[in-house]
Amino acid sequence: MNNNSNKMFFLFILFFSTLISISSNSWFGCWIGLEINLLSFIPLISNSKNLLSVETSLKYFLTQSLASINFLFMILIKFSLLKNFNMNNIISIMMNSSLLMKMGSAPFHFWFPNIVEGLSWMNNFMLMTWQKISPMILLSYYFNKNFLIFMIITNLIIGSLGGLNQTSLRKLLAFSSINNLGWMIFSIMISENLWLFYFLIYSMMISMMISLFFLMNMYFMNQLFINNMNFFIKLNLLINFLSLGGLPPFMGFMPKWIIINFLLINKFYFLTFIFMMTSLIIIYYYIRIIYSSFMFNYFKMKWVNLLMKNNMSLINLSSFISISSMILSTFIFM
Amino acid sequence: MLIYDIRFLFIYMFFVGNLIFVSKNKHLLVVLLSLEFIVLSIFFFFLVLLMFIDYDMYMLMVFLVFSVCEGSLGLSILVSMIRSHGNDYFQSFSML
Repeated sequence: MNNNSNKMFFLFILFFSTLISISSNSWFGCWIGLEINLLSFIPLISNSKNLLSVETSLKYFLTQSLASINFLFMILIKFSLLKNFNMNNIISIMMNSSLLMKMGSAPFHFWFPNIVEGLSWMNNFMLMTWQKISPMILLSYYFNKNFLIFMIITNLIIGSLGGLNQTSLRKLLAFSSINNLGWMIFSIMISENLWLFYFLIYSMMISMMISLFFLMNMYFMNQLFINNMNFFIKLNLLINFLSLGGLPPFMGFMPKWIIINFLLINKFYFLTFIFMMTSLIIIYYYIRIIYSSFMFNYFKMKWVNLLMKNNMSLINLSSFISISSMILSTFIFM
Repeated sequence: MLIYDIRFLFIYMFFVGNLIFVSKNKHLLVVLLSLEFIVLSIFFFFLVLLMFIDYDMYMLMVFLVFSVCEGSLGLSILVSMIRSHGNDYFQSFSML
């Protein structure tokens, strides 16, 4: 289905569904938004030309519909137990679980790397950024703090350890996305403004990475060092990966810095330790990729020469923003 | 076993529907049927709940519309799968 007007129609409904879900007065309206989200995302990803996309859309449909049906049932249980506050813990755990399953957060993450592997880069971008908005905002309306802290720790550990053995770039970004979900869920518990800040910077970084990979048509790790890339493309890749990992002079460090600041002031020492150590593992496997592509050339094939293309000025601008924005942002609050 | 509260019936139906959804089946259609069974249990639950609000059943109709849309989406994905794989067995998934 290469019809752009179809895609525009479903994209419009996708954007609208998130707005319905987050601005509704009752939980039922939230459920309606989640259903319309599913209904409009499936046509965007199902492309009947190959077997892979059929399987992908099927897996996505099954997990998301189960999660939203469970969510609705828990809403009805909550509605039926009018003044019985003894069940609040269980109900909030169940509602949070179904929302976590919609987001692809651990321990319900098993569908996420599979589906990310089966989608193209642009569909992946929608899945990793926009589809996470509405479950996260619904999570912020009724969350169970102890349950969510446990889920955050699971997310961080699975996101960092799962990416160690990957050779596909999409699955790598999927596990990195699961890890960043851990940070984002914790920022929801701090304040919604902080979540918005983290989410915007995260989606900016992911969009830079994905547009770089999309323009180079790269899906696997060996394509990073088997091609004879221009120096500036490699530099872009380096900056984007390190920014995604959260190293200091880059933009990706800023939201993590604020969260760590909050953690240390409020004495969450064990959680800080887990955040730091899992970040370390993630930066390890990013640097492992960049090291191979930046410094060693396994094959220097003369006939595969990736040059800077004409439409790459936006990527260069975004790399410049990645480097300089954190330093420049400190000038604002002088 | 005597059940004094009707909510146990709904929880039981919901639980059985989920159980069939996550079980190992041969066909995809069984999974979609279990999804419809969960929808049916929620429909029944919703009906009983809304009876306490002086028979105001409009929300139930909205729920029905959305769950029917979702069921038809599942069926269309089933059709797409049969067109590409030839059957709806779960064993023909080998890509991901």
